Amino acid sequence: MTNDSAVLSIDFLAGFTIFIIAFVWVISLIPGLLIGLQAHTIDYDAVAYRTGVILVEDPGEIAIIEQNIPVPWESFTNNNSVARFGLAVSKDTPNILSEEKVNQFFCTTVFYPIDYKNKTIFGNYHFNISFHDADRNVDRSIGDVLPEGYGYIRRLVKIKGASNATINAINYKNNDQNVTSHTFSILINTPRLYTDVTDPSYQIDPVKDQIMINITNLTSTKSNLTANVNLTNISVMSGNQYDFYGDDGFIPYPSSITLDFQNSSLPHNVTEDISIKFSPKLFQGLYYGIYDPALYQPIFVNLTFDLDGNSTFLNNTWSSPFDYNYDPANVTQPQLRDAVVEVAIW
Amino acid sequence: MVIGDGGQLYTIEGFAAALIMIITAFLVVNATSVYTAGDTHINDMQLEALGSDALKMMDVASNRTDEKTPLQDIIENLDTANRTKFQTMFLNYTNASGSGPRHDIQFNASYTCRNVTVNINSTAPFAIIHSRNLTGSEHTVRATKWVIVDKAVCDSNVKQNRAVLVEVLLWRD
Repeated sequence: MTNDSAVLSIDFLAGFTIFIIAFVWVISLIPGLLIGLQAHTIDYDAVAYRTGVILVEDPGEIAIIEQNIPVPWESFTNNNSVARFGLAVSKDTPNILSEEKVNQFFCTTVFYPIDYKNKTIFGNYHFNISFHDADRNVDRSIGDVLPEGYGYIRRLVKIKGASNATINAINYKNNDQNVTSHTFSILINTPRLYTDVTDPSYQIDPVKDQIMINITNLTSTKSNLTANVNLTNISVMSGNQYDFYGDDGFIPYPSSITLDFQNSSLPHNVTEDISIKFSPKLFQGLYYGIYDPALYQPIFVNLTFDLDGNSTFLNNTWSSPFDYNYDPANVTQPQLRDAVVEVAIW
Repeated sequence: MVIGDGGQLYTIEGFAAALIMIITAFLVVNATSVYTAGDTHINDMQLEALGSDALKMMDVASNRTDEKTPLQDIIENLDTANRTKFQTMFLNYTNASGSGPRHDIQFNASYTCRNVTVNINSTAPFAIIHSRNLTGSEHTVRATKWVIVDKAVCDSNVKQNRAVLVEVLLWRD
């Protein structure tokens, strides 16, 4: 063979083929390089973490339009009044959650998924927020069913329980009062409750936490056992006076008082025991327009019982009112229970 | 039989070009491992938040009338029963059931305090308890909590309120 021009072309072809194969291989590596930069799961975890921090370390905030009313967000039943959800008792007590806030937060009849996205997650993600009360073994959750992969954070918290007083009626029987109408007074001394205990984790705060009064053993106070007893009036006073279901029938906040665990109306028939729950909304209404808690006045609650025949009954008119205070002999103090908040975002 | 040798050059160039590209790709692939480490930070962050929360919750009294928090009580009376109590409480908090991923967590707890008798800024660690020995191969994160204890600690013979740093190394099994 004297002419070698064709041989050159075949060698060129071989070299070029090797180049192309290597080139294609390198190009095919490029998507693999970017996998490390894919940030979806990282984003989700970060959003879950942020949501967890907002929920357990922040007391939440009301919307600007409502800021002329100094009440916490959980008192509003209108979702536009809330700027940010937060479950902490106060900003100084991270990881200590308020029971009122938790109850309201998981109330899906008031808030919609869009509210949770706009006011606690701050992004349009799917979510599942769950709350496990370890001591009572109660689970609550909102959001969608968990998929395979999601961003996640778990926060360990304490939930501040409500205080309550159990009053044995026999200690308040007045033998001199053989009449048809009896009054029992309860003093909730808000300024003293605020100064005696300053740590919000353990404070009895009628404006933020529910207060419950159980009166037991009522029959033992009656001299006339056949007399039928009705609770006819509950009056709450502190500068302003609210008479509940009284003659004027004025009810400032519906369901702010719960009798025997239901929204029953007055007169309410009373036999052996009675339980009365006061919602914080009631006392917020009582202190309406007072912006400085240092100016709050003590609260007097008068329960009026009417009997259909003369008898002795629960009556402390001639002695001092029952003091709802920090004495464990009078009042079961607020307790902190273990709980877990979990946030999943995807 | 090949008379001309001009073609040899093309093949070698092809090989050289391929080699350069492969070396470049190899270097680039190696360099990206820096970015993928971001995922581990998230796991560490979750574990650290959990450990910090657990210590924080152990240092909260359930009742106002409780004189000491459980954690204060454990450090002040560090006997076998209280060491076990620390382990039970800590694992109970960190492994508490939930809908999320399983939390098979191990830990090693100790506390440190400043030596005041020699008045130098040295600390001595005191072991509390560990759920498993550290072999050195675990990927641990650290959670700490300052606790005020009424105890003679770190060579001091005087029982007084002292701040000690409780330190827990925790890792997933």
